[in-house]
Amino acid sequence: MSAAAGQLRRGRPRGLWTGRIFLGFLIVSLSIGFLTLGALLVQVFVEGYKWVDPVLFFEPPSADPLIAGARPAILATIYLGILLILFSVPLGVGTAIYLEEYADRDRWYNRMLEINIQNLAAVPSIVYGILGLAFLVRGIGLGRVLLAGALILTLLVLPTVIIAAREAIRAVPDSIRQGAYALGATKWQVVWRQVLPASIPGIATGSILALSRGLGETAPLLLVGALTYVSFNPTVLGDFTALPVQIYQWIARPQEEFRTLAAAGILVLLAILLTLNAFAIWLRNRYERRW
Amino acid sequence: MVEAMGADYGGGMRMSFQEALDRLEANLQEESELVLRSLRGALGALEQQDAELADEVIAFDDEVDARYLEISQGIEQLLARQTPVAVDLRLVLAVLHVNLGLERMADLCVTISKLTKLTADLRPDSTLVEAFEEMGARAEEMIRVAMRSFAERDLGGAESLVDLDELIDRSNRRVVSHVLDLGNDPAIREWGLRMIIVSRCLERIGDHAVDIGEQSAYLVTGEFREFTDASHPEGVSELGE
Amino acid sequence: MVTTPLSVKMADVSVNLAEQVRELPPREAREVVFDVEDLTVSYGSNKALQDVSLEIYKNFVTAFIGPSGCGKSTFIRCFDRMNDLIPNAVVEGRILYHGVDLYGPDVDPVEVRKRIGMVFQKPNPFPKSIYDNVAFGPRVLGMDDHLDERVEKALQQAALWDEVKDRLKDGALGLSGGQQQRLCIARCLAVEPEVILMDEPASALDPIATTRIEDLMHELKREYTIVVVTHNMQQAARVADMTAFFSVTRGEEGQRTGILVEYDATSKIFTQPSDKRTEDYVTGRFG
Repeated sequence: MSAAAGQLRRGRPRGLWTGRIFLGFLIVSLSIGFLTLGALLVQVFVEGYKWVDPVLFFEPPSADPLIAGARPAILATIYLGILLILFSVPLGVGTAIYLEEYADRDRWYNRMLEINIQNLAAVPSIVYGILGLAFLVRGIGLGRVLLAGALILTLLVLPTVIIAAREAIRAVPDSIRQGAYALGATKWQVVWRQVLPASIPGIATGSILALSRGLGETAPLLLVGALTYVSFNPTVLGDFTALPVQIYQWIARPQEEFRTLAAAGILVLLAILLTLNAFAIWLRNRYERRW
Repeated sequence: MVEAMGADYGGGMRMSFQEALDRLEANLQEESELVLRSLRGALGALEQQDAELADEVIAFDDEVDARYLEISQGIEQLLARQTPVAVDLRLVLAVLHVNLGLERMADLCVTISKLTKLTADLRPDSTLVEAFEEMGARAEEMIRVAMRSFAERDLGGAESLVDLDELIDRSNRRVVSHVLDLGNDPAIREWGLRMIIVSRCLERIGDHAVDIGEQSAYLVTGEFREFTDASHPEGVSELGE
Repeated sequence: MVTTPLSVKMADVSVNLAEQVRELPPREAREVVFDVEDLTVSYGSNKALQDVSLEIYKNFVTAFIGPSGCGKSTFIRCFDRMNDLIPNAVVEGRILYHGVDLYGPDVDPVEVRKRIGMVFQKPNPFPKSIYDNVAFGPRVLGMDDHLDERVEKALQQAALWDEVKDRLKDGALGLSGGQQQRLCIARCLAVEPEVILMDEPASALDPIATTRIEDLMHELKREYTIVVVTHNMQQAARVADMTAFFSVTRGEEGQRTGILVEYDATSKIFTQPSDKRTEDYVTGRFG
């Protein structure tokens, strides 16, 4: 009896040092990432926080850094965001519903569709810019307007929305569908009244994350015509700029003050994006379903 | 979120299971009433030397057999479909044994009646007839006590059957010795021999009643024990408290 | 001691004979709800079930028993056309529901499922409130008049009303397993079906919850016709009026196909089955 008990007692466990080295390696990798990011943020913050004031928000840009603001850019970013949600969510969710609930996986065109969505998520954003320039600005003659920017950003984030919506729809257990069918519901009723309502939290989270990605893009907007100097408030079908573009423009200026102004702009942009992400996480935690 | 516990939950399936058990017991009690009637008829026919009544008792046995069959089938169904356990299982098994015992008792009444018919023309001995009256009354009493203690799960009542049975056994022994003294007349000798069998039947009825008492004890204690045993003449004291 | 002769008393004897064994009504007195004719179900090239024929009677509880893989779940799903949801399922043969072939060309599965409801093995309440769960069926089928009354009636019939009447707006997922299953039954009852199919309704529940479901079946069969699949033989013995025993046969290449071995009154199946295979199964000597 005591021999067995003796074996139970802690001796030298196998691979003790291997375990410790591995743990150390993990901690180091983590630290490199966080510390670098932290350093960057701190630097931007220190540079720009003094210049985050009402002037930044309410005044148009100007050659004089002391009265320059980013109002048109901020407004445009907001408009872009709204349009982005309006376009990408219905399209993305609709595609996801089709693929998950209606599409017959054996058909070649559905398989093509599946593969391409994965590919599209990996395309560099500047390619979307060129696409937008060719088809939207010139092709259909939309011109260099806010709407074009919104449309191209929609295409950019669409794969993300589709993938998130698909995950959310897939997470709805089949037993729910079976239960609904067994009561005499039609396919449409099952999707509209059971599947979609149950997947809304996942869809909302995915959409907000997609939105925050879209709002941070610069390259496609430049190509479809975001002007670097806009002093009037934007309209949907008019010339426009956006916050990332504005920041880019300020950095390019020689004066030292503009650089700090840019840092301030970055802070605003970061604040917007981080708030959106935090909101998405809160949404997910609040409405997470335990199946 | 609290589910009702089994003890205070009633309704549906369990009710019909309980109903079936209750009906089984009720039928058993019914059967015992029939046996009592049979016994009374057999005793009456014996005392009055009434061959007609004896025939009726013999015919009446069909009623008891029908009840016996019904109860047997009920037991089969209950065991197959409800798989009773614990106290329910003991009840079903006890009913099985008591059912058998009652049927045997009815058969013994038939035997008595057949013997009555056979000796209808022979002259009886009044002493023996009186003895049979007494034994019959005792047997009837034992059947009643046995069935009542079964119904009431009364251990004490069941154990008291041993003493009652002792009285019948003594009477049986006295009958035998009396018959030996009846004399040499062939008619009376024949009558005497037949009456020994009658006495034996009554004694057997008493034994079956004791068996019923043992089943009652089994129901209550969960242990099956013989109240008396030829190899343990100490008898009841073995049971203890 | 001697009273009147026995013959006078014999008249009242038969009346007291309390019915110990409840017999089923004879064949002629039973109303046929489903008439299954040579039903064969395949998934792609696998034959899951072969040539099943039997009748399901109104207000009976009919149980399907048998080892795993014998096709009993496949079979029960044919009665409400739930096999339609499986892409490569092929159903041959006929199931007549009051004389109408369920798989006829112009039969609408939605109409079928309105009349023939189903309760599943694992309780699957919708992630909605208790009220909305029960109201879902009536709402999608256009039966949304007097919704409150319908919901209450269904919950009463499922023996759940008293436990939830003060919290109808609470989420259904907060109920215990047994309560959830009764909720699913209530949900099914709310659309006023004629038949209730139950695919191992109690196998995910604890013994007390199981007893309550069995009692419920006993109650419900007065108004509905119930068909239940169970892997628990004793459950079939307790609740069912008729029992069908399915078994597995192996083909030349080793494929397993389900067949119907015996279908009879439960009391017969469990006391004196006609087929040796049935006897081997119910006595536990099989597999």
